[in-house]
Amino acid sequence: MADSILNYVKSLRDRQVSIAPLVTFRIVFGLLMFAGILRFWWRGWITSVYVLPEFHFTYTGFDWVKPLRADGMHLLFALIALAALFIALGFLYRVATVIFFLGFTYVELIDATTYLNHYYFISLVAFLLIFLPANRDYSIDARVRPGIRRKFVPAWCIGIIRFQLGIVYFFAGLAKLNVDWLFNAQPMRTWLPAKTHLPIVGPYMYEAWVAYLFSWFGAIYDLFIVFFLLNRRTTLAAYAVVVIFHVATAIFFPGIGMFPYVMISCTLIYFSGAFHEKLLSLLPFYRKGSEVTVYRYKYPKALSWGISIYILIQLIVPLRFLAYPGKLFWNEEGYRFSWRVMLMEKSGAAYFKVTNKEKTQYFEVNNAEFLTPLQEKMMSTQPDMIVKYAHFLADEYKKRGVNEPQVYAEIYVLLNGDRSKLFVDTSVNLAAQPQGFVHYSWVLPYNRK
Amino acid sequence: MKKVSFLIVFVLLAVGFIACRKPPTDQEVENGFDKTAMLTYYADNIIVPGYTAMVEKMQALESASNTFLAAPSGDAQATVKEAYKQAYLQYQKVAAFQFGPAETALLDLYLNFSGGLDYSFTTSGELTGFSVDTNTIENNITTGNYNLANMSRSSFYSQGFPALNYLFFAPGAIEKYSTNTAARVAYTKAVITRMATLVNNVSTGWTAYRSEFIANTQTNVGSPIGNMVNQMAYQMDLLKGPRLGWPLGKQSNGIVFATKCEAYYAGFSVALAIENLTNLKRIYVGGEGKGFSAYLVALGNEQMNNDVLAQFDAALSKLQLIPDPLSNTLTTQPQTVDAAYKEIQKLLTLLKTDVASATAVQITFMDNDGD
Repeated sequence: MADSILNYVKSLRDRQVSIAPLVTFRIVFGLLMFAGILRFWWRGWITSVYVLPEFHFTYTGFDWVKPLRADGMHLLFALIALAALFIALGFLYRVATVIFFLGFTYVELIDATTYLNHYYFISLVAFLLIFLPANRDYSIDARVRPGIRRKFVPAWCIGIIRFQLGIVYFFAGLAKLNVDWLFNAQPMRTWLPAKTHLPIVGPYMYEAWVAYLFSWFGAIYDLFIVFFLLNRRTTLAAYAVVVIFHVATAIFFPGIGMFPYVMISCTLIYFSGAFHEKLLSLLPFYRKGSEVTVYRYKYPKALSWGISIYILIQLIVPLRFLAYPGKLFWNEEGYRFSWRVMLMEKSGAAYFKVTNKEKTQYFEVNNAEFLTPLQEKMMSTQPDMIVKYAHFLADEYKKRGVNEPQVYAEIYVLLNGDRSKLFVDTSVNLAAQPQGFVHYSWVLPYNRK
Repeated sequence: MKKVSFLIVFVLLAVGFIACRKPPTDQEVENGFDKTAMLTYYADNIIVPGYTAMVEKMQALESASNTFLAAPSGDAQATVKEAYKQAYLQYQKVAAFQFGPAETALLDLYLNFSGGLDYSFTTSGELTGFSVDTNTIENNITTGNYNLANMSRSSFYSQGFPALNYLFFAPGAIEKYSTNTAARVAYTKAVITRMATLVNNVSTGWTAYRSEFIANTQTNVGSPIGNMVNQMAYQMDLLKGPRLGWPLGKQSNGIVFATKCEAYYAGFSVALAIENLTNLKRIYVGGEGKGFSAYLVALGNEQMNNDVLAQFDAALSKLQLIPDPLSNTLTTQPQTVDAAYKEIQKLLTLLKTDVASATAVQITFMDNDGD
């Protein structure tokens, strides 16, 4: 198994293909990120998400990541935006990709309540771009130093991005193969009746069969679209479906933000080198090169290992949920970083109570005092955030003079069109429960009515 | 093969193009629940009449107040108190419509500031909940130097219903009008005039806003349906927090904050709370088969709807057992208040999770991307 993977990787490593798809990808990705960062800024989210909250839900192992103050945070975003622009232009490319990757990832690590699958995707792609020679043609770098210009790159440079996108779609499809999605058409049956304002299709949004159609079509699309994109003869048709599918999701679910546009832009990578050369030749200053200039990596062996390990990680991480007992959607252990996009409807209401060790004092917690509405909403349904918040509350009430604070929670959560149910054991002192990758035994088992 | 590809692309693009055209009107009715009719009912039968009545009650309050201010007396004070109560009760009937014209006017901040939810309710000195900033009020009267349009907590806490509560009904209120009379009368009038002006603006604002309100049947953040559900939940949060739970000492290990009851000096806090919750139920039910209640049933959530209605009644009946003035009951019968508090929390949970989810409304007062 490991051998055959290594051999496949080796062939990808050594075969040379046109650099054009990579160049298009660099430009499109850079411009989109530039626009995305500006949009985030313009909507005031830097302040509301990273400056105002006094408490942040950090990731296990990344507790040292703290937001900067208002000025610093805006400066960081400006730097990331500039780096994105430089990536698009192919200017100081290596520096720009490193800054973009580190900056963007740092921002995403500040608070888990802002986790979005496409942010994770962007971090991964930015990481890959650091190692890809995407600035070797049609870039300012290649203009300034014509010696670095290359017309061919190893096949894996294109392949790894196609692989990454394939992983996103395929695992998103796998995730949809569950009873709720396929046989109850949930959460579509909950979400679609809210879309009756749409033209033409609006009146049908109350119909159950429409919800089933959406669910099944979505699952089939996610599972198989990559294979049609990869097949040279169907790439164009498949891309048209990609565009229509994601434009439709943008119309139906405007709340998913940049995701549709990220996917529409990035899937261009599946088109052939010839296609991209034609596309790029429509742009000013693009020079076709007849000379065969080939890009070679210095350490082929390390590269093979690096690529193999990356691929393995991408295959294993979305499956890590299998290591946990309980219902995935309810416990959410191993839920993130697994391409579960628009997969479930979950809402909750969480009430916390702090007592001292002697149980002579009782304080009900006013969540709004510590959390933003977004943070409270996210925390209310996700056990790892609940326990992190409980630990924070214990520290906070200790500062207020409570002796060895104990934190108890009464939380109600609703999943996929069911009724709200008690979510955690109300008799467990959550501040004494371990955090991290452990199984949260204090989450009550899920029982559907 | 190429031809086939292009054909597919063409067909799909054509479908996409058709789907993106402008909506022909009135077509969501045929298959299911008519949301436009629901919003129209809310606008025409509850919201607009609510503000119209609010304008009238403010006029009545203003004339009673003028009589009192011309010759302060116990009798005149009693008359003002009744007019004040009627206006305050009417305000509870429109408090949950804090969007559109009311949001433009910042009506809730200037008329009946709740202090917001994001403050710790553990120290009595700070201005939180339904406090009154008596220092600022007295200072404004003495200096004559104030701008009620200022956007600050001390500004919100020194005008609207809370300020009148202090000016008219605090101990020794009548006597206080005998010193520095002109300035005190002027300030009282300024407060009432400002309230009446804001209410008028909102009331007339709805004439123009109504069409926008009924035409938007989306449920996203900032949409009418999204606003209505969020405001119901927010009013429940206010009931659970600043109106009952926090003065009761829920946040503070039982330390009671009696002076932070809504309408503390006038002493009808419970009446206001009952009116507030009764109106939330009125909003939830709507009428003539048009309302969230009927919408939930149309979506197949009959049991949920029954549970919500039953919980409204449970919470209301517990509220009705609390005797006014609440500021006394907090210490004499805390368990009665606590019983209501518990039922209100159950109702809040139903609204925030079950109802919000079933209507596909996000409970959040902030715009954000998801998934």
